[in-house]
Amino acid sequence: MLVVERFRRVLFVDRYKEFTVNKVAPTLQVSTPTDTTIVLTRAFDAPRRLVWEAMTDPAKLRRWMFSPPGWEMTVCEFEARAGGAYRWVWAGADGRPVMTLRGEVRECEAPERVVHTQVMEMHECAAATEFVVTLELTETKGRTGLRLTLTFPSKSERDQALTWGMEKGMEVGYARIDAMLAQNHSDIQRA
Amino acid sequence: MVVDQSPRLDLVFHALAHPARRAIIRQLSGGERNLSELASPLRMTFPAATKHVRVLERAKLVRRRVLGRQHLCRLRAAPLREAVEWTEQFRKNWEARFEVLDSLLEAMKQEEAKSADVKPAERGRARR
Repeated sequence: MLVVERFRRVLFVDRYKEFTVNKVAPTLQVSTPTDTTIVLTRAFDAPRRLVWEAMTDPAKLRRWMFSPPGWEMTVCEFEARAGGAYRWVWAGADGRPVMTLRGEVRECEAPERVVHTQVMEMHECAAATEFVVTLELTETKGRTGLRLTLTFPSKSERDQALTWGMEKGMEVGYARIDAMLAQNHSDIQRA
Repeated sequence: MVVDQSPRLDLVFHALAHPARRAIIRQLSGGERNLSELASPLRMTFPAATKHVRVLERAKLVRRRVLGRQHLCRLRAAPLREAVEWTEQFRKNWEARFEVLDSLLEAMKQEEAKSADVKPAERGRARR
């Protein structure tokens, strides 16, 4: 029952309250503990102040923030303080904005916790989803555990966010996703 | 290919959104169980447990067969597989991002180590 085993790892992390690095797997775990949330956990082999810097300093954010081929990050702002704002904009090959992520920082306690809203705008369609992102960092012996909780207003918006990567993969010809899909598909057929 | 508007997937995710139903699936991953075996660890009435089993049946996650007076339930893997594939894609997108972050953190650690090496030397020169 390999499939069930994998499934348990992916979705059954519902008792996640005790949050220490030792309990965080080194690879990313995604779970959906409630109908309206997605929880991501992962460990990083670096002290917390560096992970914090990488996640809140715009110059550092730019260096790891996702950019599909053909997209360029044109705006990267982040004010790491309660009441601060942030805005990340990606433009396509023609220089026109394709996607904007923006929001307001609600809570900010360096170097362990940020709560911010996030509005995702795709410039070709009017629909925008707003959700709340809670980032928590914990450190043990120079390693950092990360927990990212995405809270959506409804289940359907949560589900949409889970599929977003795939939809975009098809729209912008994100070849890597196709390759991963093929890989994933063969994994599942083997399982 | 997984279609995101699949009503069947909606049923699967709805079925999995309750801790009692996840507990039932956990039990069934060990093999076939009858209804009272499934209900007993759940700390709920038998009819309430039966209702949860019915939700799982509707999502085609559980198949029930009647053997005399026993109702035997068994797990069906196919819808789970579909749900795994679905969240797995989301997971891979984020993991790809975090792997880039891993290398950035590595670079930051090295920069820090380098400047820590430089500072004592500077202090040494200042003293001289």
